Amino acid sequence: MELVLDYVARGIMDVFLTADGGFDWLPLVMVFVGLILGIVIGATPGLNGPFAMAISLPILISVFGVNDDALLPILGFLIGIMKGATLGGAVPAILFNTPGTPDAFLTTLDGHPMAQQGQGMKALKIAHFSSVTGDTFSDMVLFLTAPVLAVFIESVLDLPEKAALIILSLSFMAAVSGRSVTKGLAVGALGMLLALIGSTLSGNGPRMTLGIPALGNGLPLTSAILGVLVLSEVLVGIEQATRDRFSRISALTQYPDADNSFGWKDIKQIMPRVFSSAAIGTIVGALPGVGTTLAATLGYDAARRLSKHPEKFGTGLPEGVAATEAANSAVSGANLIPVLSLGIPGNFAAVFIILAVESVGNFTLGPSVFRFTEIKVIEDYGTIINKDLVVAFAIFTMMVLANIFNWTVGGWVIRFLGILARIPKSLMLPIVLLITMTAVYAQDGGFLAIWVVLIFGALGYLLRKLDVSILPFVIGFILAPRLEELVRGGYSASGGDALFLLKSPLALIFLATAVAIVIIAGRRTDRLSA
Amino acid sequence: MSTADRHRHPAPNPSPNVWDLGFGAAVLALAAAALFIWFPRDIRGAFIDIGTGGNPEPGDAFFPVLLASALFILGGVHLVASALGRTSPPPDGDDAPGRLTLGNLRFFALFHVIVFIGMAVMYWLGPLIVDALNGVGLFDASYRQLVDTVPYKYIGYGVGGLLMTLVLVAWSEGGLRRRSLYTVAFVLVGAIVIFDVMLSNVPLPPNANY
Repeated sequence: MELVLDYVARGIMDVFLTADGGFDWLPLVMVFVGLILGIVIGATPGLNGPFAMAISLPILISVFGVNDDALLPILGFLIGIMKGATLGGAVPAILFNTPGTPDAFLTTLDGHPMAQQGQGMKALKIAHFSSVTGDTFSDMVLFLTAPVLAVFIESVLDLPEKAALIILSLSFMAAVSGRSVTKGLAVGALGMLLALIGSTLSGNGPRMTLGIPALGNGLPLTSAILGVLVLSEVLVGIEQATRDRFSRISALTQYPDADNSFGWKDIKQIMPRVFSSAAIGTIVGALPGVGTTLAATLGYDAARRLSKHPEKFGTGLPEGVAATEAANSAVSGANLIPVLSLGIPGNFAAVFIILAVESVGNFTLGPSVFRFTEIKVIEDYGTIINKDLVVAFAIFTMMVLANIFNWTVGGWVIRFLGILARIPKSLMLPIVLLITMTAVYAQDGGFLAIWVVLIFGALGYLLRKLDVSILPFVIGFILAPRLEELVRGGYSASGGDALFLLKSPLALIFLATAVAIVIIAGRRTDRLSA
Repeated sequence: MSTADRHRHPAPNPSPNVWDLGFGAAVLALAAAALFIWFPRDIRGAFIDIGTGGNPEPGDAFFPVLLASALFILGGVHLVASALGRTSPPPDGDDAPGRLTLGNLRFFALFHVIVFIGMAVMYWLGPLIVDALNGVGLFDASYRQLVDTVPYKYIGYGVGGLLMTLVLVAWSEGGLRRRSLYTVAFVLVGAIVIFDVMLSNVPLPPNANY
């Protein structure tokens, strides 16, 4: 226990103290600014958290560099955005009935009727309280489970099992994130294949460069992901805007004044719904590929079923707002459980945390992070310590900081952001395109990055139009090098046994589960088509 | 057939979804092209190498071939499932997800024309202005020598970026408003301040290419 506390203390000090022992404002400021930016971004139509994280990452790397000292400020900023954006999304949903994301749609069901009855400010206060409570609950589960899970995984999983686990995660993601499991798996495999372009393994030089020398260093990772994720959304959004150009948000309606106070009585009223939704959001968030929309849907549905007055949901009930906001915010902490304990991202926000970690410093995500190595100081040598574990506790500390800022400042900020919700998407999306192109050009230093954004954007647009989820593609793209390393290592360690993945009982269980998930999801598609 | 039987064996969709068929065929073709054309020409290492101890070790082609094979199988399965009507029903209506329409292709082409024109202006405007100034004898320098000099380093990015963004905004909104012009100009100035003034060694488009 003493060792655990020692690591926790070192993690906290890593955030607050500089190398020479002075107070370090930087991580604190970065978390705060990231949170405020996240709230602003979340409240702006056409923008969302993963977009802001994607654009910020190259800028942050340009500012702070890629050494170890840069990791905490960069991660602090990204964590702030991730948490703030979820809260900010409630503003347009409640005040203008214009949800920026699918999960925010459920907030409109009761939030906007409250605004129409003159209780918009009260709805925002409820959204803030529920969102931050759900987020805090989820973070606590993360802090407790990630180390335990990682220690367990580290003790039982070897190369074949880890490879099988990645295959299982991708299968699960393909099954739950789109309408067709075979399409999801195919785009996941395609993402992996494209990630290998320009990679080098041996003295044979770079592979699969298509004869383009500029690809000899591999595809620019951030550009590729920004293309498929952000540019494709810009394309779809502008296309929609060109069709709907005459439908504008109606002029701001003046609502009558009503009771906008929020006190203990209200908290007591919504608390059961907040906790049930926080639990649902946390469970959903820990599963790869299952996002905030399902969490919000399940949270809202559970609240309605548990309510004594289910018929009042959708008419401006505080419990409806609380249930949705607590559920979708509880996803953000829990989705770092697979990231920190396995190195497997479950959603887009986690993808950018992983990208940051891979680009900056020597921190390596995965089960070995939580190895509690005995701390020894050896004279004339230095300290033997698991530095990754210290960084992990520093990350937890920054998440707590973000929650504290969210509790204290977040609610105040969202009340002033109504104006942002009125910025039309038709103006925001071309600006998003310009910023994206500038950011990738700046990071990768040339038009190659812009070409990659455009090509991957076209691919993302095609997938979206064909109703294929882009999540397995992005996750496959990120995980390809790791899976290749595990498969190659497992094959070599087995002495060239082609069936090495099937020789380990645990790997076999993972693969059998993956097959079962694919079959079950395939039958679901069958029923839908019948 | 009883209701329970029908539930266990749902009737296949009478009309296969051509978009699903196309998706399966495209994946199959891509995987085949990768396996038989792309990889043999573009991966110099073998599928399996023999290591120094005489043990077989995965070569450079090992994982790509496994992935492309998986893609081939998935494409085949999807193609067969689509042909048997076991995938999602055909999209209903022009706006329904699951298909590409001529309208989508028109939009996509026009969008990229606007972007490419914007990029061309970004790339060429600075050098053209410098050439013109050289031509009238105002000074004797190439654009490459001026990529870090105000205002030349901002000309291409500013004008190309403004043009591309404003045309897209005007297209989306059905016209151009003064507010949009100010907003885009403000964003451009902000981007210049962040990337060029606040950060060092970070080039704005197109200066890294000169």
